[in-house]
Order: sequence, then C-alpha cells, then structure tokens
Amino acid sequence: MVTARSPVHTLKVSISGVRGVVGESLTPQLVVGFAEAFGCYVEGGVVLVGRDTRQTGEMVRSAVVGGLLATGCRVIDLGVVPVPTVLVAVKHRQAAGAVAITASHNPAQWNALKFAQSDGVFLNSYQATELLDVYHQGEFRLARTSEISPVETDSDAVERHVRLVVQSTDVDAIRARRPKVVVDTCNGAGAVMAPDLLRELGCKVKVIHGKPDGDFPHDPEPIAKNLRALCRAVKETGADVGFAQDADADRLAIVSEKGRAIGEEFTLAFACDTVAAQTPGPIVTNVSTSRMIDEVTDRHGGQVIRTKVGEINVVETMLRERAVVGGEGNGGVVYPRVHLCRDAMAGMALVLQGLAEHGTISAWMRRFRPSGMHKTKIECPSSRVPHAMAAVRREYADNKLDLTEGLKVLWPDTRQWLHIRPSNTEPIIRVIAECDTTGAARRLCEEAVAILRPVVNA
Amino acid sequence: MASLKISITGVRGIVGETLDPRLLTNFAQAFGTLVGPATVLISRDTRPSGPMVTSCVAAGLLATGCRVVELGVCPTPAMQWAVKSTEAGGGIAVTAGHNALEWNALKFVRQDGLYLNANQGEELLNILHQGEFHKAPYREVCPAVETEALLPQEHARVLRRHIDAKAIRKAAFTVAVDCCNGACSGFTPGFLGSLGCRVVPINTDTDQPFPHEPAPGPKNLGQLRALVAAAKADVGFAQDADGDRLGVVTEKGEAPGDELTLCLATEAVLSRGDPGPVVTNVSTTHAVDEVAERHGREVIRTRVGQSFVAEAALSNEAAVAGEGSGGVMFPRINCAHDSLATLAHVLELMAHVGRPLSSIVAELPSIHMVKLTIPCPPAKVSAVVEQIREEAEQGVFGGAIDLEDGVKIIDEGMWVHVRASITEPIIRVISEGPTQQAANDLAERFAWRVRRAVM
Repeated sequence: MVTARSPVHTLKVSISGVRGVVGESLTPQLVVGFAEAFGCYVEGGVVLVGRDTRQTGEMVRSAVVGGLLATGCRVIDLGVVPVPTVLVAVKHRQAAGAVAITASHNPAQWNALKFAQSDGVFLNSYQATELLDVYHQGEFRLARTSEISPVETDSDAVERHVRLVVQSTDVDAIRARRPKVVVDTCNGAGAVMAPDLLRELGCKVKVIHGKPDGDFPHDPEPIAKNLRALCRAVKETGADVGFAQDADADRLAIVSEKGRAIGEEFTLAFACDTVAAQTPGPIVTNVSTSRMIDEVTDRHGGQVIRTKVGEINVVETMLRERAVVGGEGNGGVVYPRVHLCRDAMAGMALVLQGLAEHGTISAWMRRFRPSGMHKTKIECPSSRVPHAMAAVRREYADNKLDLTEGLKVLWPDTRQWLHIRPSNTEPIIRVIAECDTTGAARRLCEEAVAILRPVVNA
Repeated sequence: MASLKISITGVRGIVGETLDPRLLTNFAQAFGTLVGPATVLISRDTRPSGPMVTSCVAAGLLATGCRVVELGVCPTPAMQWAVKSTEAGGGIAVTAGHNALEWNALKFVRQDGLYLNANQGEELLNILHQGEFHKAPYREVCPAVETEALLPQEHARVLRRHIDAKAIRKAAFTVAVDCCNGACSGFTPGFLGSLGCRVVPINTDTDQPFPHEPAPGPKNLGQLRALVAAAKADVGFAQDADGDRLGVVTEKGEAPGDELTLCLATEAVLSRGDPGPVVTNVSTTHAVDEVAERHGREVIRTRVGQSFVAEAALSNEAAVAGEGSGGVMFPRINCAHDSLATLAHVLELMAHVGRPLSSIVAELPSIHMVKLTIPCPPAKVSAVVEQIREEAEQGVFGGAIDLEDGVKIIDEGMWVHVRASITEPIIRVISEGPTQQAANDLAERFAWRVRRAVM
C-alpha cells in the first residue's frame, strides 16, 4: 500500500477533462481558458452547460459561460442536472457539444469540467488531446461583440430524460411489482430527477439526502463505507431495494432488502442480466470488471467484449460493436437505448425491471456464482513500470493472458483472474483479483505485489 | 493603435480582440482581493458583450469569496448609489460609457459609491500584476449569484425626494428623451412619468445596437432635436450608454452643448440655495465660474477625471460638481456622475423659473470653446507638455499659470489648457474665449507649438 505523496498536486488536466480543488488549483482563469478552448474546438456552435450541486458550481459555471460566450458559442444553461441528462440533451438540442461541471464521486472541494461532443459522448482521447492542444496554444478565436448572444436556459431536460428512461424500460412489470425503494442522492444532482423517475416507474419512494444543495452528507462515491445511512433506511422502512448515486448521478450502487450494500460490481451485472434476458447481444465492459458479466452471457447468449478501463473506451467500443448494454464495475451502467453514457437513472430502471422478475435482490444475487474481489496498489516510479510489468509477465507466462490493458491472468477452470495495470494518472500500479472469496482474491493480489515489489524498489 | 487600455480608472478594450475572459477574471479577482471578501454589486449597460463580461467578472469575484449581486442592465449611477446605500463593499460597472459598441470596460467602485481614486487604482493594478489573488476555500465560495432588480428603482425614488417633484408635476412638461438604447432605457421614461411629464422616448430598445455614438455631444443629438421639434417638447434629454452623462436640447430644438449641462445644473442647485462650492475640472468652461459668482459661490478646480472631481466634491462638501462632458454629480445624493439626477434638476429649474428652457439658457453665459487633439508618440508626450510648461513659466504667453493638470494659461477672460490624455497617445488642447473666433485663434496658436514640439 502507498501513502499520499507530498506535496500533492490538486490539478489534473487529462484526457477526461480538467479537475482541481477550488481555492487551490481550479481557478477562474483556468476555467475560462478551457471554456474558450472548447468554444474554439466546437467552432462557436450551441453548447449546453449543466452542473452538479457543488457549492463552487456557480463560480465554475460563470467562468465557463463567460469563456464560451467570448468565443461566440450559443450557450444553453440546463442548471443543476445529472450528467447523463446533459449528454441526453446534447442530442435532443442538436448541440455542438456540452460542458458538464462536476467532480462526480470526488469530495466536495473538487470540481471539474468534462467535455462532450455533438453526439452526446465525452471526447475520446484523440479529441481530448486536440482540445488540450488548442488550450495550450492559447490563441482563441474570439467573437466580435455583435456575435455574442445572451445565455438561454432549458428547464425541460430532466423531464425529457425521465420520459426517455421510462420508454426504454418494461414499466408495466415494475408497476405490477410496485417496489418500495429508498434512494440516497447524496444531496447531488440526482435529487432533481431520481424521485420523479422512481414514482413514474410505479415505485413507493423514500428519498434520503434529497436536497440538491451540494452539502454532501458523506463522500459522494457510492461505495459501502458511504452507504450506512441508506442501509439503515432500507432496513427501517422494509424497502425492497436501496439505491445510492454519486454527485452527478452517473454511478449507482445497490443495497439489498436486508439492508446490506452488495458492492458496485453487482449494479452492472444486474443491469446486463435484465437487458440480455430480453435482447441478447454484445455486452461491453472493461478488463477489470467482474466475471459476473460473463455469467450473464453464459445464461442468455451474446458475448462479452472487454476494453481498457475508462468510460470513453467502453462507450466507443459499444458504439462500434452495437452493444445492447455495457459499463464498468464501479456502478456505471451504459444503456444505449437511453443514451451512450453512464447513467444511474437508466441503471435504476433496469435493476427494478429485473427485480420484478427475480423477486428480491438477495434471490437475484444467488443466481450468480459467489464472488470476492480485492483491489490494491503499489507505488512505482514511472521509469520502473516496464520492468515491473515484465517481471509479472514472466512469472505468469504459462497462464492464459489478456493483454488489453496491462496484464490480466486468467484461470478458466476456477474462473479466477488477476489484473495488473499501471495507472494513467498516478505513479502506481493497480492490482485487482476476483475469486470465489475475497480471502482468495487478497492472496492472489499479495502474490502479485510480492513479485512487483523488488523490481519496483530496485 | 492598441485596443486595450489598462489604467488607474479600470480596464477598457475591444471585445473579440483584447478584452478577453482571462483578463476579465483576473481583474475581478484582483478587485475581490482588494475589497473582499465582501458583497460586490455588478451593473452593466446594453452592449451585447455584457453577459459575457458579467459572467467572467462574477466567476472572478466568487473565487475570492465575494458575494455577488447582479443588478442587470442598470445605469451606472444607480449602481454607485446602491453600493453607497447598502452593505456592499464595492461595485463593478460593466460599461464602456460613451465608447462605441465593440468596446467594453470594467469600472471599479469603492464602498462609498465613488470610483477608485488614483492610489486605489494603482493598488488594484499592483495586485493584478503581482497575480497572487485571494483564493477562497471552497466552503467560502458563495453557491449562487444573487440578482436584485429593485435596488436600481430605489435610486429613482431617492432622487425624487431630493428635488421639488411637486413643482415639476405641476408644470406637466412634455419631455423628449433619447436613451441611446442604453442602460437608462428601462428607467428614464418611467422616472419622467413619475414626475408627471408626458414622455416622448426614442431609442429605448435594449436589444438594438446604439443608434449613434453614445456620447451626448451636439453632433449626436440630430435625432433628438428633430424629435423635440416634432413633439413640441419643452425639453429634450440625451443619455449615454450607461447613464452618467446628459445632453440637453431646448424647446427650440437647439443643442447648446455638453459644457452647458453643468452650467444648467449649477444654476438649478445654487438658485435653490444649496450650500457649498462648485467643483469641476480645469478643462471645463469658465461659464461655471460666472454662474457661481452670480450666487456668490466659489469654484474649485481639479485634475480631469471623475474620481478627482468626486473626491474634491466630497471633501469640500460641494453643492454640485461635474465635468464639461455632461457628467454632473450632486454630492447630497452621491458623488457620481448621474444623468437621471441631472435631468431632474434641469426640470426643477424649468419649473421654478417658469419660462422656456431657451430663455433660461440665454441668460447663462454663452460658451465658445475649442477642443483639439494632437497625436503624439507615447515616448514624447511628457516632454512635449513639459516644454509648453517651461515656455509658460518663462512668460512666453503671459497670463496666470495653473499646473493642476498639464498646463493651463488664463488671461483676460480667455484660457487654454494643454494636457496629455491618460488613455490615448494624444495631447489635448482646449481653449475658451469671448467669441468662437478668439477661442479658435488661441487653440491654434498652442496647437502649432505642440505640433512643433512633437516633431
């Protein structure tokens, strides 16, 4: 395990956008600069702006709007909305692009810009590199006064997104079951949509942390340690299921009727199970996501296509392969019938639809082989990464290997796997394993770390 | 010529060229660092670039922990009054005033409603250039920009309390007004209506570009003069884009000039008996002195620039103050050029005197002035002014010498003023004489010397 390095850089300019801590690194200068660069990148077309509920959202929004207007963009402000709502709206409004202002699952001091293109998909790595080039060159084509138009607003984007999700789901099945649902929107952007959607789907709804005021009651990442209040609420109300969303409602976690956080890997497994049962076809996920996805195609037909880690890699492969569903094991479900983006709203609808068939979350879980995952990481100077990777490659050379990203070792008979991959953003190597028990997975990881450590420290 | 002007009075530039978002957020953060964390009011005029500039300014202010209140499209004097009258720590006017449409600018207002003075303006620039701004921790960043549309209306209500509204109502004037599609478009017609005037407005569509240059000098008043004649109005008023300056047209359709606005206002305030001297700058008509003298008052002259006049008006407890540009301030209301207050005082004067405006103007001294500009390379500007000063001190011209701002020579009812512009690479020569010919001759005599020194 590693500890944080000091000093910690709080600015991350990468192909997935610009992320920083307000009051430290995410300054208005930086934000207007990136907005201007994006305005030039989309050549002054219609650009949608939406944000999550963070306290600093208005500051960042003002800067984004200023930068976009200066480059002659027509700005449509969607206000506080889930990120998937922004991306859905891009298509609907036939916009040239969108800027989503959200640090997603990161804690409250962070904020970020994420850039989407005209089809409502985030920029891919080539496009993002191009945007960075425009930013770094710093010569923005500025609009003349007469080309600057006032900011427009659009308050119907959430309603359209709700309608789209409802149309893409077997609503009758859910309404017949009339499930009791508790949803924790973490006082995030999901609060402006999740309750309405759930009611529309025929659920009895209890909302916790449903004020869209950015006062996060816990870290917004929907992992077990942040879901205690939700687990309690599910137990107290005797609900059938609990849902937790992060601050911008792209990730979803599930709490069972027993009040237990079942782990984010199940979100995608359930969503895929529901979709594949009615429409078998290609399913796309990353190499580090649970084997439960393979069980889905074993059961219903279709095939699993594994990509590098990262939403855009999954989404672009889904587009190419005409996937019926996809996503990542961190709770990010992509359901193309709604839109090609991670969408906690579509995720909830699919889980509820499957729940109607399987009765309870626990019963549904039992349909899958017991699984235990373990994740760890080891600090590694970037110059030592190739040596470290060569060492594990040598060690596992006789096994079945998947080289999509880093090194994935597979044991088909026991369905165990071990994934070792260098991070793109930090000087670390991540090690993840899945076995029948978490104990076994931990041992696999420790074995790999033991091989890596001497090489890293050499 | 460079289209960016950064000076102690703020930042001004052409949108699409120099006045870009990063510069704007930098200035806003510098101002937030200077006055904040505090409440800062933002007003803007009707330029299409206003929302872009306002967004950038709001972002910069929020990042320094300031509370931001947007007044929307609103006259600059109303914002200045609101800063003074509320808990606000400062204000930013997004307006290039009388400049053409493609320009925009930030003007910085301090807690007491005055523009930053030269020292404060310098401090702001030092913060800007040092580039180390206060960055509020995320918990101290305000989660919303507030809007406040009623505060500017309150300004009009207070103005009515300071004038004899009853007399104006009784006179039931017909008033033509040209708002230049500017910030006053939504204010002046209603304000005049509340004073019982029949209002004939033109150019009050804030979505339209300026119909003419926004400076309310005679050359831009053609439309208003025609309107006054057509509507048989008792008076015509022209406002600039942000409502600080006022031009006046008589019931005969004549435009007696922007220098006269201050004379009319001075007559209005002094004839009413308000105590205190009159404050103006060294380049403004000496007709003001004659008006003041009739009422036994003193005239105090400052360097050219609203902040110099305003601070002198404040410290001398002036009855009225202003500049020859048509900008007049009434210190009992606020030390800021205010076209709404000015037109109210002109109407009050008309109501009290009970005669047509042309006859009131006829009783004021006639004004014969010439204003010339001579381009000069920036490197030579100081040397040229210095040379004129030396010649003056050697007695080449005779007369009294005033060195308050550049060189001013006063001799037997005539004067000439030579000074460097602080915003452009030009030297200004302004003269006044008993006749237009005399003023011309005097200005040309000095312009010749200036041109020679420039070469």
